[in-house]
Amino acid sequence: MFSTASRTLEITVISGEDIRNKRKPVKKNVFAVIRTDSQPLCRTETDKDGGSYPYWNEKHNVDIPVHARFITVEVQCKTSVGDKTLGMATIPVSDFVGGFVPQSYLHFLSYRLRDSNGERNGIINVSVKAKVPEYAASSCSSATTIGVPFGKTSCYGGVVPGVPVGVPIMKQYYQG
Amino acid sequence: MGNCCSDEAGGRAAVGGTAASQDNPINAPNDAVSHFLNSRGYHGLYSQIELSYSASDLRDRDLLSKSDPMVVVYTKGRDGTLEELGRTEVVLNSLNPTWITKHTISYQFEIVQILVFRVYDVDTQFHNVEVKMLRLDEQQFLGEASGVLSEIVTKSNRSLTLDLVRREESSRSTRPRNYGKLTVHAEECISSKTTTEMILRCSDLEYKDLFSRSDPFLVISKVVESGIPIPVYKTEVIKNDLKPTWKTVYLNIQQVGSKESPLVIECFNFNSSGKHDLIGKVQKSLADLEKLHSGGQGENLFLPSLVGQNYHNKVLKSQLFVDKYTQNIQHTFLDYLAGGCALNFMVAIDFTASNGNPRLPDSLHYIDPSGRPNSYQRAIIEVGEVLQFYDADKRFPAWGFGARPIDGPVSHCFNLNGSSHHCEVEGIQGIMMAYTSALLNVSLAGPTLFGPVIGNAAQISSQSLANGGRKYFVLLIITDGVVTDLQETKDALVKASDLPLSILIVGVGGADFKEMEILDADKGERLESSTGRVASRDIVQFVPFRDVQGGEISVVQALLAELPTQFLTYMRTRDIQPIS
Repeated sequence: MFSTASRTLEITVISGEDIRNKRKPVKKNVFAVIRTDSQPLCRTETDKDGGSYPYWNEKHNVDIPVHARFITVEVQCKTSVGDKTLGMATIPVSDFVGGFVPQSYLHFLSYRLRDSNGERNGIINVSVKAKVPEYAASSCSSATTIGVPFGKTSCYGGVVPGVPVGVPIMKQYYQG
Repeated sequence: MGNCCSDEAGGRAAVGGTAASQDNPINAPNDAVSHFLNSRGYHGLYSQIELSYSASDLRDRDLLSKSDPMVVVYTKGRDGTLEELGRTEVVLNSLNPTWITKHTISYQFEIVQILVFRVYDVDTQFHNVEVKMLRLDEQQFLGEASGVLSEIVTKSNRSLTLDLVRREESSRSTRPRNYGKLTVHAEECISSKTTTEMILRCSDLEYKDLFSRSDPFLVISKVVESGIPIPVYKTEVIKNDLKPTWKTVYLNIQQVGSKESPLVIECFNFNSSGKHDLIGKVQKSLADLEKLHSGGQGENLFLPSLVGQNYHNKVLKSQLFVDKYTQNIQHTFLDYLAGGCALNFMVAIDFTASNGNPRLPDSLHYIDPSGRPNSYQRAIIEVGEVLQFYDADKRFPAWGFGARPIDGPVSHCFNLNGSSHHCEVEGIQGIMMAYTSALLNVSLAGPTLFGPVIGNAAQISSQSLANGGRKYFVLLIITDGVVTDLQETKDALVKASDLPLSILIVGVGGADFKEMEILDADKGERLESSTGRVASRDIVQFVPFRDVQGGEISVVQALLAELPTQFLTYMRTRDIQPIS
């Protein structure tokens, strides 16, 4: 492996929201697969309890080629007849590499999933952090140290139109 | 279920725009508990602060001994009236006293809370009189000082030292004489920092819907002395489930009063009409819930039902279970402020032609010679006067959009101060001056584009991150019309949702702002960009300014009240710690 030809990412697949199978909310056994150039990079465990709001919060270190411009997330469901892809999202690498923010900034990103017909499905929440090699990190040491995110909260209340959201309503600043 | 979502969102938006008071929460068309809270003034960051005092070099007023000082603390209302918060004890014979008595005050982020401190020398003859009974006009006045609560709490040591002055001299502004100094220390009560986490579950709920199972959600309210329950938490709705388990509930001890305060937990069946039916309720304190958890027991819900003339509590077979109960202490908003985090204020003003010719009195930009501020000026003052205390250098980027600066093409983000290099102005006064001078120097045009302004704000906040800054940015956009570049605005907002940035949009004038509600994720769906990226958190608050006119609690305050939450969500999800 050529270290110069790939970059290491720390991807946390956090959760999915309102994942549907043929318009009906999924009952259980949803998992996510991350790919680049159609090569699988990692997959999450199947979430047994979360139903159409699966929650994984799984961290994976993956290498992607530097020339890769997209990674994809596929949300699949384990069924009796095999795995079925419910929705897919394409994440441009430019959403977490480049720009003005520090190289190792922890990005919280959410994407709309679409099924094979291009129809809107739910939302996938991930966080991505580019791993900066030691020498480079020391040269931009001013960057805020950012720790491991998330123990127990989802990054978003889980908004579905027309449904009250699961956030404290008065002084929710302590949440998290 | 999915098909009717848009209707519901529409219904919500229609009522969402008016934060008008809803006297009866049950009849509220959309159960917008927050509106109910706003209407009662319960909103915003709610933290109890304990004030303690010491002084140095007080004037000696007694002949044979030193002064016997006491502090009287007042809060100053908007109209300038003073209300006594409390008195300290009398410290005998001291010119450098440290008082033991402490006073508690609720800190409200969105309000400028002015405190006035008066120090008196209490004569020996009054020493056996209780301090509360003392007539202050009979005591010797040693001096007074005033300060703003947010100024004290944002200091890294949470102490502010103020010069004591005499009233008559402060008004005449002669050479200041030395009457000593008063130091005020603010400490956040520990209960403000303690949060409980619970996972609540119900079993055997009753059917309320005709063709499907109920769609239950919980509302947790605290019971106050007046007997009216005040909602403090609402869970998400779980569809079609009679044995629902809700997401983790986070409750601050401060918020509910104490661990022993009774809480009413009501289980409702969600109804898109807003008329949610009560399935059942229980009354339990946090301590009771903790016991339920440790015992693994369920508590039966009851339903008040009318029997003859009286209400009778019918016990249901449905039960409430506490699957998890933990308690932990978290860093608060004030911890972050004292730990070197700052809120930076930015402002962008709409100069589109729809505002009307600024020289004519019917223009929204009309500068009244009598000095009465127009809507733009009022929005700047109302937001700015609160935020300025959280911004150490008080240098604010200020932009205009939708106008033609001298002979140039229409610009959708120009520096309000007319400079081509830097956008910052000094203080709120600086924004006001830049605004009035810009009115003379640009010609109003259009259309109304937010994209460039939001892009600039995003760039400033990401540059600050790159420089290792610990800043959170607040962009205030004041506009008179509906945005033309809705998709570009959404794209910019979705990108910005990953940055330390919140955006307040204030709509002035009589336009129909319904479209703008879309940008405020509170009132509809999460924002989605043209590329399919979705906002990772809600960073936009929108409010039409006409709601502000009249009424005690300004809607702008309600806007600001959300900021500490957005700030903390950003900090905590990234596990950024305050520097202690």
